[in-house]
Amino acid sequence: MMVIKNKRIRDIMRYVIPCVLIPLLVALGATVFSAKRHLLISMGVAILAVLLFFAGFERKKTGSRRLVIVSVLTALCIAGRFIPLFKPVTALTIIAGMYLGGEAGFLVGALAAVLSNFYFGQGPWTAFQMLGWGMIGFIAGLMGGLLKRHKALLMIYGVLSGVIYSFVMDIWTVMWYDGGLNWQLYMASVVAALPHTALYSISNFAFLWFLAKPFGEKLERVRIKYGI
Amino acid sequence: MRAIERLNPIALTIYFLLVSGRVMFSNDPVLLCCSLMGALALHFALHGLTGWKTHGYTIALFVVMALMNPIFNHNGATVLFVMNDNPVTLEACLYGLSAAGMIVAVLYWFRAFSFVMTSDKLLYVFGGISPRLALLLSMTLRYVPLFGTQARKVSQAQKALGLYKEDNIVDSFKAGLRVFSVMVTWTLENGIITADSMTARGYGTGRRSRYSLFRWRTEDALFLILSLVLCALSAIFDRAVVYYPLLQIAPLTVRATIGYVAYGMLACMPVFICGKEAVKWRVLMYRM
Repeated sequence: MMVIKNKRIRDIMRYVIPCVLIPLLVALGATVFSAKRHLLISMGVAILAVLLFFAGFERKKTGSRRLVIVSVLTALCIAGRFIPLFKPVTALTIIAGMYLGGEAGFLVGALAAVLSNFYFGQGPWTAFQMLGWGMIGFIAGLMGGLLKRHKALLMIYGVLSGVIYSFVMDIWTVMWYDGGLNWQLYMASVVAALPHTALYSISNFAFLWFLAKPFGEKLERVRIKYGI
Repeated sequence: MRAIERLNPIALTIYFLLVSGRVMFSNDPVLLCCSLMGALALHFALHGLTGWKTHGYTIALFVVMALMNPIFNHNGATVLFVMNDNPVTLEACLYGLSAAGMIVAVLYWFRAFSFVMTSDKLLYVFGGISPRLALLLSMTLRYVPLFGTQARKVSQAQKALGLYKEDNIVDSFKAGLRVFSVMVTWTLENGIITADSMTARGYGTGRRSRYSLFRWRTEDALFLILSLVLCALSAIFDRAVVYYPLLQIAPLTVRATIGYVAYGMLACMPVFICGKEAVKWRVLMYRM
């Protein structure tokens, strides 16, 4: 049907989206459109960024074992979202990024967001959740070596990613509601979301504290045993 | 209900994006009412008169959202009263109502979308972007219920071994962690075995093909074209509504009416499709 079979089209997508489409959207947003359109632009950028990533994923030759491990971790994330109050999604995404690289981290985060939302409620926020969780995993992959060596740094990253994720999602909530970014409304929604933000950060901390090492050991063991 | 589920998933996805996207970027109260009514009608057509708890939550959300704006936003010329030295204006109240209505309408549209888009349709749409991604998705979707069953088995085995008591919080927390740890090892090994089995059967040797139940039929094309045209019409004949500093609505012209009718038809399309089938069924039953 609309499979992007052609390798060249996918390659073109990989260059056109970041170099042309995203700057064009942002420039249009700054000049042509009125305030209400910020939402449209930010949503467009989020969707394009995720598409860009998926286009790159198809191009690469990933071994089937790696592919399966990514899907296993994503499924664990989704199952973990059913745990009441404490959500291990971010922690698992960070662990995936740390041990399997940035690309795997992005995939685990983004896919967990879109798939679990089929159970928890799909909405216009899905694109932002995908980008948010995906980026958390991607950055964890970039800093993988550092995070593995220093546990303190890992904890700080976990807590910070919870807080920043929450703040960014609040920006989006306010923009959706108000059209523009009203600071008073933003502060109000940040305060209203404080319990959630705290819970996020605490569960990131707790899950990373308890899971990072044993989980990493298990991943390393599988990696050595099967040579991935 | 069957009729709408038979539509091509790509056409369905585009339809839902159009109908909810149009209302998301509009603050026209008439359009909002059309959208809300269409979404609610679709909800009732799909689920019948159920889900009152969800409706209750949605109404609470509506009230909170509608009150948020006048409390925190003090734009607008008509001051209703003063609260804590801050003016509460009529315009801010009206804007709050319209924004809350918009959010509730979009929520209902997406709820219907999630209900109609089952996992096989999701795979079909994603498979269009990347076949490998579709494979990843289908494996993940299969693992979620598998993990559930396996986790239950592990925890039952541990209980049978007498490893923990149910009435002890520390014990059950420890048990939860242990079950999780067992699950991680099991799933990773299980995943590797799956991967090896895939490789042995020749995964990755040729170009990926995929099987799907959905094809483009005339109805799908008609549905897609009609929704694109109607959405474009309503976007072109947009009626300007300005809330601050004074509520100003452009006069109701013929063009604006065409826009409303177009959007109303767009919002009613799924209900119409469901309704047509129900009527046909009744007629056939009557004739027997």
